[in-house]
Amino acid sequence: MSMTTLLSDPQTATALLPEFTLIVGIVLMILVPNLGKGTFRIPLPNTNIRIPYLLGGERFTFTSSPRIPGIISVLTLLFSTSLALWSQMETPLSGSNVWCISTAGEAFASCAGMADPTLLQIDGFSRLVEIIFYGSLMLCAVAMWSRMPATPRFMIHAQVLAGRREDERIQKLLDNRRQVDFHLLLLMVALGMSVVALASDVFVLFIGLELASLSSYVLIAFMKENEEAPEAGMKYFILGSVTSAIGLYGISLLYLWNGNLQMTDLAASWQAMDGIDPMALTGVAFLMVTICFKVSAAPFHLATPDAYTGAASPVAGVLATGSKAMGFVVLLRVLVTITMPESGEAFWVPVVGLLAAITMTWGNLGALSSNNPKRMLAYSSVAHAGYLLAAVAALGLNQARAGDHVISELIVAAMLFHLTVLVLFKLGSFLVLSMLESEGRGSKLEDLYGLAKREPLLATALFIFMLALAGVPPLAGFLSKLLLVSGIIDATIHTSMSFDDGILATLQSLHWVVYLGLLVFLNSALSLYYYLRVGWVMFFEDPPTRKRLVYAPFLRITIMLCLIGTLAFGIGPLADHLMGLVSNAAIAFFA
Amino acid sequence: MMFGNPLTLLTLGPIVAALVFMFLAWASPPSKREEISQYIRLLIFAFSLFLLSLSTLMFLESYSGISWTSIGLNNYVYDNCVNAEVALEAGGCALVDGFGVSWHVGVDGLSFPMVWLTTLLIPVSMLVEWNAKKGAQFHSLILLMEGALIGVFVSLDLFVFYTFWELTLIPMFFLILLWGGDDRKYAAQKFFIYTFTASVLMLLGILVMYYFTRVPVWEGNITGRAFDVTLMAASSNQLGSSFLGGFGMQKAVFLLLLVGFAAKMPSVPFHTWLPDAHVEAPTAGSMLLAGVMLKMGAYGFIRIAVELLPGALVYFQWLIVILGMVSLVYGALVCLGQTNLKRMVAYSSVSHMGLIFLGIATMQPLGIAGAIFMMLAHGIISPHLFAVCGAFKHHYHTLEIGSMRGIAKHSPWLGGHMMTAWMASLGLPLMAGFVAEIAIMIAFWMTFGWLVILPALTLIITAAYYLWSMQRTIFEGGEEGELPESLHGEDPVDITWHENAGMIVLAGFAVLLGILPFIFFDMMSAYSGEFVSEILLDVLNEVRP
Repeated sequence: MSMTTLLSDPQTATALLPEFTLIVGIVLMILVPNLGKGTFRIPLPNTNIRIPYLLGGERFTFTSSPRIPGIISVLTLLFSTSLALWSQMETPLSGSNVWCISTAGEAFASCAGMADPTLLQIDGFSRLVEIIFYGSLMLCAVAMWSRMPATPRFMIHAQVLAGRREDERIQKLLDNRRQVDFHLLLLMVALGMSVVALASDVFVLFIGLELASLSSYVLIAFMKENEEAPEAGMKYFILGSVTSAIGLYGISLLYLWNGNLQMTDLAASWQAMDGIDPMALTGVAFLMVTICFKVSAAPFHLATPDAYTGAASPVAGVLATGSKAMGFVVLLRVLVTITMPESGEAFWVPVVGLLAAITMTWGNLGALSSNNPKRMLAYSSVAHAGYLLAAVAALGLNQARAGDHVISELIVAAMLFHLTVLVLFKLGSFLVLSMLESEGRGSKLEDLYGLAKREPLLATALFIFMLALAGVPPLAGFLSKLLLVSGIIDATIHTSMSFDDGILATLQSLHWVVYLGLLVFLNSALSLYYYLRVGWVMFFEDPPTRKRLVYAPFLRITIMLCLIGTLAFGIGPLADHLMGLVSNAAIAFFA
Repeated sequence: MMFGNPLTLLTLGPIVAALVFMFLAWASPPSKREEISQYIRLLIFAFSLFLLSLSTLMFLESYSGISWTSIGLNNYVYDNCVNAEVALEAGGCALVDGFGVSWHVGVDGLSFPMVWLTTLLIPVSMLVEWNAKKGAQFHSLILLMEGALIGVFVSLDLFVFYTFWELTLIPMFFLILLWGGDDRKYAAQKFFIYTFTASVLMLLGILVMYYFTRVPVWEGNITGRAFDVTLMAASSNQLGSSFLGGFGMQKAVFLLLLVGFAAKMPSVPFHTWLPDAHVEAPTAGSMLLAGVMLKMGAYGFIRIAVELLPGALVYFQWLIVILGMVSLVYGALVCLGQTNLKRMVAYSSVSHMGLIFLGIATMQPLGIAGAIFMMLAHGIISPHLFAVCGAFKHHYHTLEIGSMRGIAKHSPWLGGHMMTAWMASLGLPLMAGFVAEIAIMIAFWMTFGWLVILPALTLIITAAYYLWSMQRTIFEGGEEGELPESLHGEDPVDITWHENAGMIVLAGFAVLLGILPFIFFDMMSAYSGEFVSEILLDVLNEVRP
């Protein structure tokens, strides 16, 4: 790809506006905090003329303030989100707003008949998942505003803490460094995720996945104050890189099999092949290992609870929402775009169905027995991955490629709806925990005792997030599960079906995937126990202290926004609007 | 019109008002909290009286203007979304178009008596427990309860129905937990877990109906389904035995719904939460729990399970007879063995709810109307029973049947109320309970013949435990002037004026409905007559030609 074309082509620039905003943000993040009185002495003899070049040297107080990186990152993500949302709103239907970026860096308004292979494809689907990614990262960035004011105390020399003026300055600078590191990584995650969303080539997809994953490994280990953080980050890193290596090997097999890694090309070869080529099958199976680790499907989820527990709560929230959404995008790209047969059932339906059943049940049982709220939320996110996998299994039943996509679109829309509203209530509950964490609590259920007496509003918010996670009407979590099960039922039962007289005979005559829908329901009912337990201890146990939590105004506002979203997307016109957005995205996915 | 409807006001008005009052009580400065609390209590009471007058006006208006027999089945009075298919297409009453969720309210001969009963019981229970601790919060919760209960009875959209159904749990849970007796934590948890588990099963049944019913799709509805009861009923009517894809599925859904509603009613295998909840609940909570919350189960059973799945009703007729009979007999026998007055009254509710199942199982217009009248009559009598129990607890500090003797001598009003309520509940002629019982018995005899001996004999047991407990409590032993030990030497007092006022209202209606049952019986029998002639007869002819 020639860099000049990429930058000079106005069409490309317009099409990739949110991503360019991210890159500008990353550059600003590196430059702005380094602005200083750095000067350059002209190398002439006997002169002492110094030309300021404003980088390095003694930093300006304003630009090196510890708040600046957070502001840059929140604004960048806000701009990117709005641009993505705007391009989604501008031309809502598929087809009219599709851009393909070729390897030469040129943008085309249609992906058909391009001379060069395509790298990135921009359509309604990718824009919507980008909104999910950016939104979750933005909430995380806002939450870190009041979480990370200082360098780890134990790493600063005691004299520095004594508080001489010069040392204070140094400490502020250190704070700023730390903030820059964190928010730079956060923007890198955003960039990686958007590459995943846009990729139309499996290799590009993998690069984006790795960029996002490697940055997130560091983010997990970032809170060095917490002893568990480095351990969690290391564990997640080792397991993640092993699975990535397996996935990369799978990609190499696919490359050997097909000769290139274009998704459309792979899909065409897949349909054209007679039976299933073992090499292609092995490739896809290995790639599935990476994906299952990313969406934390059982039994690949074992590092998830440790990682979420060790990471700072907002980062854990991103892992549970944005990162999971990324995993599901890859899953849809690989399983539906590439390996869907022309007609009939996809070969992976039993595998994914089994994974779904194991994942949701294991996740719920794990959550039932965990006493740490973060670990409980981690297991509940495993369970939610199971619900989404059940929908994917139903997707495989359909003839997604044979003209009529209505039911497949419904299922994809349901998944997107679920992933979108999950950002609100899953991340919202992590944000509440984050407020507890800033006073060194939040890793035991006892820390939540009597929260309602200390912070009635926050406790109510957390309780409602819990109810939404459990799927209690009329909250957003109920509608998304309703839609997921709707999709599963639609995929398996046809209007023309009629059942035998007997109950057992009726139950036997249903396709087995229907029972995944039933399992989703039963698991939700089971999950009520541990979600309500959180509410119980918050409202009916005695608090360890009557002290209010940290002030953190932005974080409180964000939590309230999440709460309003959880309620508003559950019932009323906003739910309809979101419905429209996700169904357009789903239509674009199959276009 | 979505919100220009009296039923919407009756539903959302109390909920909004309760939240506002709760906020006011919470936000008031601690120094003036007591004083403000008094005003809030008065305001809440006035508001509940306003709602009572509104529902009574609706009743009078409908009584003069509407012929209940001519509106026909699946048509509702004060319907804000008439002809739902067209109205939903036009977007007039939709809440979430994409899923087919709508704000659809309306009443008919089945639900209107329940709505009126709720609006009556709220001010009465407030009167009876006028001096509760933390009065503003207590009465706000009762007001919140009113909105949720009316919401259950008027909503014709199963999504909204289920939401209100769960919403009723919250105020009741807090009433038991915060104002209950010594063992309140256990009772509140048990109450919540039992009813919530049952309602999850009910939700499963509702969802299966939602998923398997195809309705005419309108613009913006992407799932192709709707929660609207009228649309489901139309589909059920039209498809008959192939509704929900086949009779097998209908039976499965019916069983799910039966479990969900039977636990709420409660019927025998699922009844164990009721005595605990009642014994620990505050008086007003018990009154609402027995008066209206139990009726939610019976109402939901008739509205959803019976009306939408008549074929399954015919199939499971004997199951329902057995459930009803076991509840009736077992409840009465357990009553005989109780020493706690409130627990005995709670078990008598189980027994009376069994009669409702028997009435429905007769599949006669008279039997079903009798069952609905039983809901109303029990809804007036059982709060009276619990108010009496509450007065004993409040003034004599005990509920043990043996420990109080000759109360009538010391507290004549309380003794009189006890006698009225006890007689009404055992089915004394010219009181409301008798009308329901006799209607159910006649219909039962018409359907099952001499099997009617069983429920009729049970009425003797009922009379036995009521008379026995009454005699031991208010009459026997009064001559010696023996006072219960729990008084600790205090002078016995009679009930306060507000308790008396509330109970007199209840006693008055128990007698009024006993003498003039047709006030409500007309609309009930119109409903049941329509239901049997329009739907059930066809199904019966199909199944048993």
